[in-house]
Amino acid sequence: MNVRVKAFAVFREVMEKEVEFTLSEHTTISDLLAALAVQYPGFGDMAFEAPGVLRKFVNILHNGRNIEFLKGLDTPVADGDSIALFPPMGGG
Amino acid sequence: MTTSSSNERFLRQIPLIGEKGQKRLARAKVCIAGAGGLGSTIATYLAAAGVGSFRIIDNDIVEESNLNRQILYRSGDCGKRKVDIAARAIRDLNPDATVEPVCSCIDAMTVNHLLTGADLVLDGMDNYPARYHLNRACLNLRIPYLHGAVHGFYGQAITIIPGETACLRCIVPRPPDTGKVPIIGVTCGVIGSIQATEAINCITGSRAALAGRLLIWNGVQGDVDIIPTLRSHDCPDCGEYTPGSEREGI
Repeated sequence: MNVRVKAFAVFREVMEKEVEFTLSEHTTISDLLAALAVQYPGFGDMAFEAPGVLRKFVNILHNGRNIEFLKGLDTPVADGDSIALFPPMGGG
Repeated sequence: MTTSSSNERFLRQIPLIGEKGQKRLARAKVCIAGAGGLGSTIATYLAAAGVGSFRIIDNDIVEESNLNRQILYRSGDCGKRKVDIAARAIRDLNPDATVEPVCSCIDAMTVNHLLTGADLVLDGMDNYPARYHLNRACLNLRIPYLHGAVHGFYGQAITIIPGETACLRCIVPRPPDTGKVPIIGVTCGVIGSIQATEAINCITGSRAALAGRLLIWNGVQGDVDIIPTLRSHDCPDCGEYTPGSEREGI
């Protein structure tokens, strides 16, 4: 199955702005992030503060919904899904 | 007395929004939460466009380190209350405008009172706890909330329509670490201008272009991207929200 990943702001410093991954069935967001870490050196350190623990600024939208309100890193992904990675900005 | 509502002042924009739109701007009551970099840009352009009524909220004084981005203020304003200087600047731009400067923090105790009566709330805050108070209060009061935020050369903006779009908490459920983030004035100018544009769209009856669409500005690469967003049913702020009636302009 194919999943489209879009990176925004600082994530573009370590990966392409948009990439399509071919993944096996029964894949989760966690599996997808692991694949990104393999393909893009620097992504793992940017996204995770410890194994399995995302940094606070990492926001992930799965088809427009934040994974915090789905199943977090265990959220399943399906063919055709769109995943957005962005760091919310805080200043004003 | 010649007033700023005369057709002469708005001659170049009435072809865009019509006489009806101009009158809607004059009747509109906007609340600008935060008179910093974003708030400065928002206030300047909405005053120039002819918005009639402002409530501007901030509890800070002007500091020299603000002057790289907070364009309402001048060197001689250091040490003075931001809201007083901002109110004067808005009135200078549009003498017909009514301005209510409010020197207050925005917290759970104050937020509903501060926003009541506003047609729109524009986010010029510099922290997420205050933004979450604005988000929740705007949902409760059914006021469109025009969010913006910046970090360095990056910025984001989205328009939150209660009961229709994702709210701020749906999109950013956990506050990122805050503190003195790096900010350059041009990013505040870009994002504040986008928020002001959205305000004009909402007020004049056009569809808010960024309703439910998170705009990300990348000033380093010159990119503008849109992330479509959806409401989360389990959102603690809007998950149980019952949509209200449609609004046709203000």
